Amino acid sequence: MLKIVRQQMICIAVPGWNGTTDLSEDSPVSKGLYSLFRDVEVVQFASIALLPARADAVDKRPWLMLELAIEEGIDPYDMIYRLVYHWSEAMWSLYSSFWPSDATALRSERNDKLHKMLMKHLSIADGGFIGARDRTARQIEKEQELLEWTRDEARAMKQAMLYGDDRAAFALALAQRAFQNRRFGWALDPAPRSYWRGKGASISAKAGYVLTLFVLWLLAVWLVGAVPRGALGIYTWLFGPPYSGVTDVVAFISMASCWVLGVSIRIVLALLGLGVLVWLLLIALPALSRTWRRWLESVGRELDRPTETWSSWLTYRIGLLLSVPIAFALVALAFAFIFSPWTIVDAYKAWTANLFGWQIIALVVLAIVVLICAVGLLSRINQDLAMVGNWFFQPYEEDVLRAQQVDPSIDNSEGLVVRETAHMVSLTDLRSPNGWSAWWIRVSLRIVTLFGRVIFTESRLGSAPGIHFGHWHIIEDGRRYLFCSNYDGSFGGYLDDFINGATIGTNLAWRWTTLKPRGSAAIGQPAVVHARSFPPTRFIVFRGVKCELQFKSYARDSMLPHMFRFDARKESVDQINLATGLRDALFGARNDSNDDLIMRAIES
Amino acid sequence: MKLSAGTPDAMPPGLRSLLYGIFCWANRHPGALRAVGAVLRHWPFVGGWLGMAARADAVKKVLTRPNSFSNTAHAANLSAGDYLIGMDPDATYKGDRLLLDDRLAVLDATLPAAADLAARDYVEKLRLIGKRKSFDLIEDYLMWIVFRAMHPLFGEATNKVAAGATGSLDDPGLQRQYLLEIRYVAGQLLAGSSATLRVQRRAELNADALRSRIAGVGNDIQLAWGTSCPFNVIKRNAVGLAWISHPVTVQSGALAVQELLGRPDVHKALREQAQRLLKMGPNQVWEDQAFRKLVQDHVLELLRFRPIFPLLARDVPRDTEFETGARHNAKCPAGGKMAIWGIAAMFDTAIDKDISQFSPARNWGTNEDLRWLMFGYGTRQCPAMVYAVKILTSALIGLLILPELQLTRGEGKPVTYDGPLMSRMRVSFI
Repeated sequence: MLKIVRQQMICIAVPGWNGTTDLSEDSPVSKGLYSLFRDVEVVQFASIALLPARADAVDKRPWLMLELAIEEGIDPYDMIYRLVYHWSEAMWSLYSSFWPSDATALRSERNDKLHKMLMKHLSIADGGFIGARDRTARQIEKEQELLEWTRDEARAMKQAMLYGDDRAAFALALAQRAFQNRRFGWALDPAPRSYWRGKGASISAKAGYVLTLFVLWLLAVWLVGAVPRGALGIYTWLFGPPYSGVTDVVAFISMASCWVLGVSIRIVLALLGLGVLVWLLLIALPALSRTWRRWLESVGRELDRPTETWSSWLTYRIGLLLSVPIAFALVALAFAFIFSPWTIVDAYKAWTANLFGWQIIALVVLAIVVLICAVGLLSRINQDLAMVGNWFFQPYEEDVLRAQQVDPSIDNSEGLVVRETAHMVSLTDLRSPNGWSAWWIRVSLRIVTLFGRVIFTESRLGSAPGIHFGHWHIIEDGRRYLFCSNYDGSFGGYLDDFINGATIGTNLAWRWTTLKPRGSAAIGQPAVVHARSFPPTRFIVFRGVKCELQFKSYARDSMLPHMFRFDARKESVDQINLATGLRDALFGARNDSNDDLIMRAIES
Repeated sequence: MKLSAGTPDAMPPGLRSLLYGIFCWANRHPGALRAVGAVLRHWPFVGGWLGMAARADAVKKVLTRPNSFSNTAHAANLSAGDYLIGMDPDATYKGDRLLLDDRLAVLDATLPAAADLAARDYVEKLRLIGKRKSFDLIEDYLMWIVFRAMHPLFGEATNKVAAGATGSLDDPGLQRQYLLEIRYVAGQLLAGSSATLRVQRRAELNADALRSRIAGVGNDIQLAWGTSCPFNVIKRNAVGLAWISHPVTVQSGALAVQELLGRPDVHKALREQAQRLLKMGPNQVWEDQAFRKLVQDHVLELLRFRPIFPLLARDVPRDTEFETGARHNAKCPAGGKMAIWGIAAMFDTAIDKDISQFSPARNWGTNEDLRWLMFGYGTRQCPAMVYAVKILTSALIGLLILPELQLTRGEGKPVTYDGPLMSRMRVSFI
C-alpha cells in the first residue's frame, strides 16, 4: 500500500558527473527534456540538481540528481524505460557524457546501457506525501479549462443580470450550460478517487478494513490447524488411526495454530487497552477536567519550548524519570498479557486470596479518592504559584548562534519560480551510527507515509497545506539524506506550515540528520563550511522544528539549487482542488452544497 | 468519454492483487477453467444467475447478437485507443473493418510462403545452438517469424514502424523494443479490468509510445497503404493493427507449443512424420499439403485446449435475456456485463461425446464453425484467424524438423508469466 505512494516519487543520483553538459535554461538538453516530459504526459514534476560529494569521498566529482514525481501506479522501471527509449533521445543527451566514446553506438545499445545505469542508481522515496492526489496532469489541465470557462460564463451571466440574487437558479443555469457544452463531455464522469479518498474515506470504512484484515488473518490461522485436524478425523473415521507420527504432527500444528490465534487476539486486546488509556488521558480527562487540560497543555508547551528554561528542563527530566519506568511497566504488562495471560490472573488471585470482596472494593475506592486529592492539590499549587511560575518559565539560553545566510544560488533558484510552484532540494548527512539512524528514519517515514495515504487524504499533511509532492530518500548506502519538495508559497511559509502543522512528522523525518562540512558541487553553488545539527528534540517528537530560526537556518544551509525544472501542474493545490470540486458540483446532483461550491468557485 | 488514462484504484488495497492473482492463475491453468466450465454446462441455471454462458449453443447465440451483447466491454482495456474489437457495429466500425479487410487481404498472396521462409531462416539459426543450451522460444523464434510473416500489413512502412521515425532501420534492438511495446499493450486486453495498476499503467505508457511512433511514420503508412483515408483514421487503424496482430499470434503460438510439449505422444507422432518427410527431401516437409493440413489441425486442437481468450466479456446496453440451456432464460439487466465461457463451449459434449479427448482429426460435421471458437464467433469473429493459424502452422513445422524440444530444467521455471501473458518460454534440444 505504501509502495504505490513511494514509487510515485523517485530520484536518480548518479555519481561522477564531469559537468560537460550544458544544463542552462535555453540549452538543447533542457529544451529536449522539457519536450520529453510534456510528450510523455505522466511526469508531473521533474528537476535536476547537482549533489556535492561527501568530504570523505574518494571521487570528489558531484552527483547528478534527477527528481521525478509521476502519476500513481507506474512502476519506476516502466517510467525510466519510457523516458530512455523515447524517440527524442533526450535522456541520452543528458547522460551521454558518462560514455564519451559511445556516440556512434547503435541507439538500442545506448538505450539499454543507459536504462541499466539509471535503474542501478534509482531510489524510490523512503517516505513521501502527495497533496492533490488522484489527478493526472491532463486532468488538471482540463479541469482548469472548465474552471476558467465557468468563470467567464458566470461573468457574462452576471452582466446580463438574468438571475438577480437567486444563487440556486444561477448555479443551475451554469450547470446546464456546462452540461450542454460538448467540450466538457469528459466531465460527466465524476472525478476519480482512490479507495482512501472514495469509499474508504470514512472512519468506519478504515476501521472496517483493518477489522476485515484481522478476521481474515484469524481465519487463515484457524484453517491451518483445522484442515489437518479435519483431514485426520476423516481419515481415522474411514480407515482407522494413522501412524502415531502423523497424529503428533497434526497435534503440533493444531496446537501452534491455537497459540497463534490466542496471541493474535490478545495483541489486539492489548492495543485496544492502550488506545483506551491514551484516549482517557489525552481526550476524555482533558474534556472533563480543566486542571488536567491545563496541566497537559503546560507539559506539551514545555516539551515543545524551543529554548531551555528551568520549566522545560525540569519537565523533560521529570518526564524522563516517570515515563521510562511507566513505559517499561506497560510494555512488560502487555507482553505478559499477550504471551502468558495466566501469570496476571495468578498474581491477582494470589494478591486477593486473603481479601473479601468488600475489602477489594474499598481499596479501589480509596485509590480513586487519593488520585482525586492529588490532582486537586497539584491544581491548587498550579494556581497559587504564579510568581514562581513567571521566574520558572524565563529562558536562560539563546538558541540562534548566528544570523541566517542564504546562498545566492538558492535565492536565484527560488526567484526563477517565484509565481509558480516552489521547489526545494535539501541534502543532509545521517547521524552516526548510520544504520541506526537510517532504520529509525525509515520507520518514521513509513508512518508519515501511511498517515498521509490513509488519514490525510485531502491535500493537507497534518494541518500543513500546499504540498504537491514531498519526498525523502536515504541515499549512498545510508550515509546521506535527500529531501525534495514541490510546494505552494514561499520557503518561510512552507517551513512554518511544517513547524506548526506537522511538527511530529517533521521531527520524525529529520531528527536523525546532521550537516557535515562539504564543498560546493560546482562554481556558484553552496558549500557547507561549518558542521550543523538539527535542533535538539525532546522525547523524539517534541521541540526540534519548534526552534524555528535554528531549524530554518539548518534547512537553508542544507539546500541545493536546481539546474532544471519541469512543472506539468502549474497550479496551486487549492486551485487544483477547487477545479475538481467544481467539476463534480457542475455535473453532479443539484443540491445546496453543490450550488454553494459552484458559486464559491466563480467568486474566488 | 475517457478523459485520460491513469485512474486511481478505487478498490481496497490488496483486493485487486488478489482478484488479479486468481484471474491469472485460472488463465494459466485452463484445466481448472474447463472443470468450472463443466459445472456451468451441467447446471446452466447457475451460469444464468451469474451472467455466464457456457454451453456451445448458448455461447453461439450470445456471440451472434452483437447489438445486445456489445463488444464495448473491451473498450476500457484498449489502452492505445478505440479499435474495432471494442466498437459497436456503427459507421466507424464498418469503415475501419473495410480498411482492415483490405490490409489482411494482402496476406493472401504472401502466406504461407513468407511464414515458411521466416521459419526456415530461424530454424537454421536455432540449429546452431546445439543440445543442452537453452533459448527463449518466444523472443528467439516466434516473435520474429510472426513479425516477418506479417511484414506486408504495413508494406514498405513496416521497417519504419519498427525502427521509429528517427531510428536506424539496421538496428535490431529498436525492432525488439517495438515488439515488446506492442506486447504490453496487447497484454492489457488479456489482463482485463482486473489488472493491477502497474500492469494498466505499463500498457498505457507503451500505448502512448506506440501512438507517438505511428504518428511519426503516419505519412509512410498512408503511402504504403495507398489510401486516401483521413490521417486520424489511418492512425487509429495502424495503432490497433500493430498491437493486436503480432502479440496475440505470438502468444497463441507459445500456448500451442506449451500444450504440445505437455503431450509427448502427440509431439512424438507429429515429429516422426516431419522427419520422414525431411528424409524425402529438404523441401518436402514444407510442400506436402497433407502434412500442412495435419499440422494445422493440430494447431487448432492445441489452441482449443489452451485458448488465448478462454473467457470473453460483453457489455449489456439494454435489458435483455439469453438462453443458457436451462428451462428459463437468464435475465441480463441493462448496464451489466456478461461472461462468455468459450473454453467451456469448446468442450461441450453436445458437439461430440469424446470432445474432451485430444483429437486433431475429429470430424466436426455440422459444428465445423465451432472448431474456430477460440477466435470468437459470428460477425465479430477475429478477421485474421486464418492468417494467424497459417503462420503458426509454419512456425510449428519449423519446430518439428529441429531436434526434439523440451522445456529447460535447472534454470528456474522454464515458463515465465507476466500476469496471464507468457513472457518467456525457455526450451532446449534433447
